[in-house]
Amino acid sequence: MKSTRALSRANRENTVRSVLTRLFRENRMAAVSFAVIILFILAAIFAPLLTPYSWEEMELIHRLNPPSAAHLFGTDEAGRDIFTRMLYGSRVSLLVGILPSMVSLAIGSLLGVTAGYYGGWLDAVIMRLADIVLAFPSMLLAMVLMYMLGGGLFNVFLTLSLVNWASAARIIRAETLQLKEREFVESARAIGVKSPKIIFRHILPNCVPTIIVLFTLNIPDSILTESSLSFLGLGVQPPAASWGLMVNAGRQFFYTSPWLCLFPGMAVMIIVLAFHFLGDGLRDILDPRRRKQ
Amino acid sequence: MKQIVQRLLQAVLVLFGVALLLFIMVRVIPGNPVAMMMGDHADPAAIERISHELGLDRPIHEQFFIYLRNVLRLDFGTSITLGRPVADLMTAAFPNTLKLAVCAAVFAWVTGIFCGIISAAYSNSFIDHLFMGISLLGLSMPVFLIAMVLQYVFAYHLHILPISGTDSWKSFILPAIALGWNCAGSVARLMRSSLLEVMEEDYIDTAYAKGRSHAGVLIFHALRNAFLPVVTMMAVQFSALISGAVITETVFSINGIGRLAAAAINGRDIPLLQGTVLFSTLAAVLGNLLADWLYLLLDPRITEAI
Amino acid sequence: MKKKMITVLAAVLLAGCGGKKEQGTSAAQSSVESGLLRGAVLCDITTMDVAETTDDYLIPMNIFERLFETRPDGEESKIENSLCKSYTVSEDGKTYDFEILGDVVFSNGNPLTASDVKYSFERLLTKGRQNTDIPLEVVGGEDLMNGKAESLAGFEVKDDTHFSVTLTAPNAGFIAELSSPCMSIVDEESTKNAGGFGKNPAEMIGSGPYTVKEWVSNDHYTLEYNPRYHGAEPSVKKVIMKVIPDAGTMNLMFQNGEIDLIDLGSLDSAVVESAYRTAWKDHIVSRPKVGLYFLAFNENNSYFKDVKVRQAIARAINVDDMITGIYNGDAKRENGIIPSGVLGYNKDLEPFAYDPSAAKKMLEEAGYKDGEIQFEFSMDSTMSSSQQLIYQSIARDLAAVGIKADIQTYDHTTWIDRRLGGKTDCYVGKWIMDYNDPANIMITFFGGESKANSRALNYPNIEIMDRVAKAPAILDEGQRIAEYQALEKQIVKEDAAWVPLVSELHLYCFGNRVKSFTPQWAGFGDFYVTDVVLG
Repeated sequence: MKSTRALSRANRENTVRSVLTRLFRENRMAAVSFAVIILFILAAIFAPLLTPYSWEEMELIHRLNPPSAAHLFGTDEAGRDIFTRMLYGSRVSLLVGILPSMVSLAIGSLLGVTAGYYGGWLDAVIMRLADIVLAFPSMLLAMVLMYMLGGGLFNVFLTLSLVNWASAARIIRAETLQLKEREFVESARAIGVKSPKIIFRHILPNCVPTIIVLFTLNIPDSILTESSLSFLGLGVQPPAASWGLMVNAGRQFFYTSPWLCLFPGMAVMIIVLAFHFLGDGLRDILDPRRRKQ
Repeated sequence: MKQIVQRLLQAVLVLFGVALLLFIMVRVIPGNPVAMMMGDHADPAAIERISHELGLDRPIHEQFFIYLRNVLRLDFGTSITLGRPVADLMTAAFPNTLKLAVCAAVFAWVTGIFCGIISAAYSNSFIDHLFMGISLLGLSMPVFLIAMVLQYVFAYHLHILPISGTDSWKSFILPAIALGWNCAGSVARLMRSSLLEVMEEDYIDTAYAKGRSHAGVLIFHALRNAFLPVVTMMAVQFSALISGAVITETVFSINGIGRLAAAAINGRDIPLLQGTVLFSTLAAVLGNLLADWLYLLLDPRITEAI
Repeated sequence: MKKKMITVLAAVLLAGCGGKKEQGTSAAQSSVESGLLRGAVLCDITTMDVAETTDDYLIPMNIFERLFETRPDGEESKIENSLCKSYTVSEDGKTYDFEILGDVVFSNGNPLTASDVKYSFERLLTKGRQNTDIPLEVVGGEDLMNGKAESLAGFEVKDDTHFSVTLTAPNAGFIAELSSPCMSIVDEESTKNAGGFGKNPAEMIGSGPYTVKEWVSNDHYTLEYNPRYHGAEPSVKKVIMKVIPDAGTMNLMFQNGEIDLIDLGSLDSAVVESAYRTAWKDHIVSRPKVGLYFLAFNENNSYFKDVKVRQAIARAINVDDMITGIYNGDAKRENGIIPSGVLGYNKDLEPFAYDPSAAKKMLEEAGYKDGEIQFEFSMDSTMSSSQQLIYQSIARDLAAVGIKADIQTYDHTTWIDRRLGGKTDCYVGKWIMDYNDPANIMITFFGGESKANSRALNYPNIEIMDRVAKAPAILDEGQRIAEYQALEKQIVKEDAAWVPLVSELHLYCFGNRVKSFTPQWAGFGDFYVTDVVLG
């Protein structure tokens, strides 16, 4: 028992600390991205301390003011401070990126492991379901789900979670199939360890690097999908703010008051890129196939 | 051959699942869809009559089989908001979507592959950074923002291209770029990294040893092998292009399937929504089949080369 | 690398924003054929048949004619004879005798006769889904619709140009109703045999100034001058209306000279302010939209049950601030239920003056503590941006007097379900008049318990609602209007069951190829193309 565990643990040599150290040492871009993400998260948490304005209060006399000392990023069509709305909007946008990715990865991992480990009809059912979900162009599936559920933040979370689980399930299943053949799993099975225990003790922990990478790369997709849903009027509903929604609300003013779109648009770009680089960097470190180089 | 037939059967099964799932999702909505769509001034008797005409008062499984039977006869029902058979609307819209998707794909793959190769050949040079920067722009900007910037610069400001429409081949340039940029970015990046990876393999050293030039090695030895992951990605992108078309077609006022889907969402038009989503999914599945087939064709040659 | 990217983006944007474009220099413009008007709409029409729609009136208005037409008359409107030459009304107000013009032909050459008029009335009841209420007033309408009768009993054709119509009850607004686009007169012979009337351009046979050349669904439709039209030849010979679902794109197209006429209601008011107000100053024309925004209370709510609370709220809302802030002045304060520009509008009705301190005092006197009153202010996600701003503006005003209005957004389906189920506490609604008579709005909202409840008002004053329901039968025009105005005053002032807010202005802007344009008097945005004069 002890030995199988040690074997299993030896297989996952990456502790959080070692990963981070290597990330900072080997991949500057990923390190910077990581710092940017932390910065954005801090800004989202401490939003009320960073701005004197309220995110929803309108001052109609100050509509469409260009960026100035009083309004760093200008004001929008209702006279609201754009910087403030972006700070509060980052709460929504980061959550829209992170939460559905977590949920979809959780669903995808569990289903993928189950399918891969047990095989048989369970595998067939889960994978056919994944095939069906993956067959839809993702945007159209998201549209139908939002149509069915109605607008609002919670439903955006739900939709994005339901759209993205299938590809994760496929990858985790493939990984499980490989791990199943490994000696520490075989020996655990030989000494009679029960299946759920093997899954949670030995297989899932070894999938963690893949899950982390998938999770990180899923976030930018979710953020961009949310902004596309907002474009179609299906995303977060005003007066709540997300960056995607702000870019969309500013679209009509793009030609006369570009700051409405520009700043939230840039925030979307920066956060998407940051998660993208971080994901890439993590993959380089965590993916054994690439590590050999 | 056997493999292709198997894939085909699988695709049919998946499409049946898609139709079922779609039907369940669309019909689960509470409230009478007809009442919603007819709005505030509608008369209750008329609502009832139309619900009956649409068969919404029948049991749900019956509705599904009627729907399935009709779909197999290429009858997708009548659009509520546009008042025409959905099949007719899609027939009229499909050529535009196809043109847009083909233009976008050609743009994405040609420029993506080209930029990827150049970037790899001159890796870490200025041109490499420039190309990779531009490709990141495509990856990180929402499609509609790209579309608006293009419209503004090339149509409104420089007057080179029309703002919208489908009147001439010129009309398709901006939408194709807006739609394809994202895919071009991914292709360029993958092409570059795949090529750089292949360049480290032993047989490349052998080729150099034989006295081949840098360009020669790149084109005759590395490229073929580096293509394989790129082709896989291109297959996946087909579906992404269809997703992006919803937004591109709306911004550029192109009467295509994606815009019909967007109109269906706005008008809460169930037959149109079902029809367009089903059709788009069919297109994506067919695109994947095509890519699988291409892959099968490409694969043996590449293994041979190695 | 990221820095580089941002620089690239900034450069592209700066290149775009740098220069200011001169108006009308577009190459696209010089090549436009003369007599062509190019317009745009955000979404396509459903049908060209008025029996199937209450919204898509642009084609019916221009290819058909009616017995009467509503025409703008300054800020007001007047009813003009169109196909009708003259008419008389019987003593009891139930029977109308009409004489129509004798020399009118349809676009296929068929003469327009009294039996075409009768057929047009009957068709609405037998064929259509919409617009049945006006012909239903005619004796025998009900029977025809239910299939109990073959023809409309109250409609008597005397000869080709004379006929009479008998109503089940007198209705002083009948002539106004006949000018509604839904009362378009179609050609009996060709329409009867049509297989796809409303969808097939070739089958749309009318006597109006235009015919439909083609309609490519979700893309565009084309109208052409009807050479058989009996009136004066219009300046516009051909119309192409394009479907442009994106407002930003539509704006650019107009600025670029790709369309000649734009309904500024399609754009956000702040865009209008920044991109049109000065640059296109002399090209903007406006007309009041006959309809209004109002605040409705659900009187089943424990706070809104109290008339003191309702009156205090009416005093706490700063309507003038909305007009300047949200509409840049392109809106009008409304004080009653009957909107300005509509028959029976009471210009002397005094609004509750904006006075937050008085409102606060009223609430205190009625025993409510600061912050005690809270309610859900429900919004429909499909509402226009200005309507959403009205919500936010009201919530802010109410917060100032210690009332917490919690804005909740629902999707359209849920919103309607909640309203019909009486779960909506309070909302900002909008009503656009279907025709120029106060009955339209008064009866829809206060014509009886079920009507008031389905609007989530739960107005308890049964006696007032009975009077609203009976008012159309008052024959004397003056007396009828006086009754409406008295009821309106009771509801708005004494009961404060409805807080009138604003009516919008319908703004249009025409491009350099157009010399002048007169928008139609209507709640909807459709217009007579003959009112456009090309330069």
